[in-house]
Amino acid sequence: MNPDDRWDDEVRDAYHRPIEGEAQARERGIARLRREARARRSRMGAWWVDPDVLRVRPLVFAASLLAVLVIGAWAGARWMASRGAPAPPRSIATLTGESTAVTFVFRAPGATRVSLVGDFNGWDPNATPLARATTGDVWTTRVSLEHGLHAYAFVIDGRDWAPDPSAPLAPVTTFGRRNSLLVVGEDQAL
Amino acid sequence: MRRRLAWALTALWLVSGRAYGDESEEARLRARLKPEVATSVIEVVRSAAAQGLPTAPLVARALEGASRQAEDAAILDAVRRYSAGLAAARRALGPTARASELDAGAGALMAGVPEDSLASLRRARPSGSLVIPLVVLSDFVARGVPVASASNTVLAATRAGAADPALLRMRERIHERILRGEEPTGASREGLRELLMKTPGTPKERGNRDPHEKGRP
Repeated sequence: MNPDDRWDDEVRDAYHRPIEGEAQARERGIARLRREARARRSRMGAWWVDPDVLRVRPLVFAASLLAVLVIGAWAGARWMASRGAPAPPRSIATLTGESTAVTFVFRAPGATRVSLVGDFNGWDPNATPLARATTGDVWTTRVSLEHGLHAYAFVIDGRDWAPDPSAPLAPVTTFGRRNSLLVVGEDQAL
Repeated sequence: MRRRLAWALTALWLVSGRAYGDESEEARLRARLKPEVATSVIEVVRSAAAQGLPTAPLVARALEGASRQAEDAAILDAVRRYSAGLAAARRALGPTARASELDAGAGALMAGVPEDSLASLRRARPSGSLVIPLVVLSDFVARGVPVASASNTVLAATRAGAADPALLRMRERIHERILRGEEPTGASREGLRELLMKTPGTPKERGNRDPHEKGRP
């Protein structure tokens, strides 16, 4: 055996010879890595709760806020549309013999008093007051009307006249504002 | 003898009832209007009654003016113009037209709908009530549909045999379209197209034709 071969054997033996304490060193290394990972996770949790100073450019902040608002409004509108818009209150007529009982419904946000005027009560603002429904700004009253064509309007707080948004409009504006039209006994215009 | 007595009593009841009705209307007018205005309005009302025109719409118009605190001259003018409108509506709709038809027709005429359109509506529906078609027509004009388009739309629908509920549904759809921002003439055209497509017995291709084109419907 030449000297080179013997050298190679010795190196190979030394390479494969078990190192004293190797297993313990491996365990210590793994334990150290785990401790460092736990410490890193702890520092990330603290980032969310510990007081700190965030450095943000005002322009970037404003743009981000605007984007959030726009996206929120868009998403909210889509959600409302998917649910269907709330139907406006409608007046309803029910046939009861020669006359017809008509329930008039009117939405008047902020009103303190609403009354019904029409050719059936001499256009008297004090004759037919509406009662506020439990739902807040919706007002209702029930009136028995003779068959035929009726013109009517709502008076809000004794001064503002408004037509019924759900009913046909009268074509002429003789005294300023249009009236609504109601046909009773034909095919129930409302 | 008994039959004659019965006829006499019936006639007396009718006359007294009519007289009571007139007195009631006049009393309401005198209670709400200044004496000189009430007298003038009552003259117009009596003249209308003598022509066989309905008087309730005239009284209602005067009372509406009083409630809206309109000027005396405006109240009297409104009553006179409405009386003329009722007479014109009877000319257009015929002597057998009902009071509610005359009332609706007068409103339409005063909004600019020509008498010819009302007469055409009567021919399209000779025996049925025209109150709903006239109300729908008036509503279209009030919402900005040009008079010619509004008249053609209602006339085409009536000629196609659309019943009153269908006309009212068409009104609602056109109203919704206008509220969404559509141009009133286009909205009425589309509303009519939808109605004609759904009206039984209407040729489908008829629904695709423009009812507002010249010479139509």
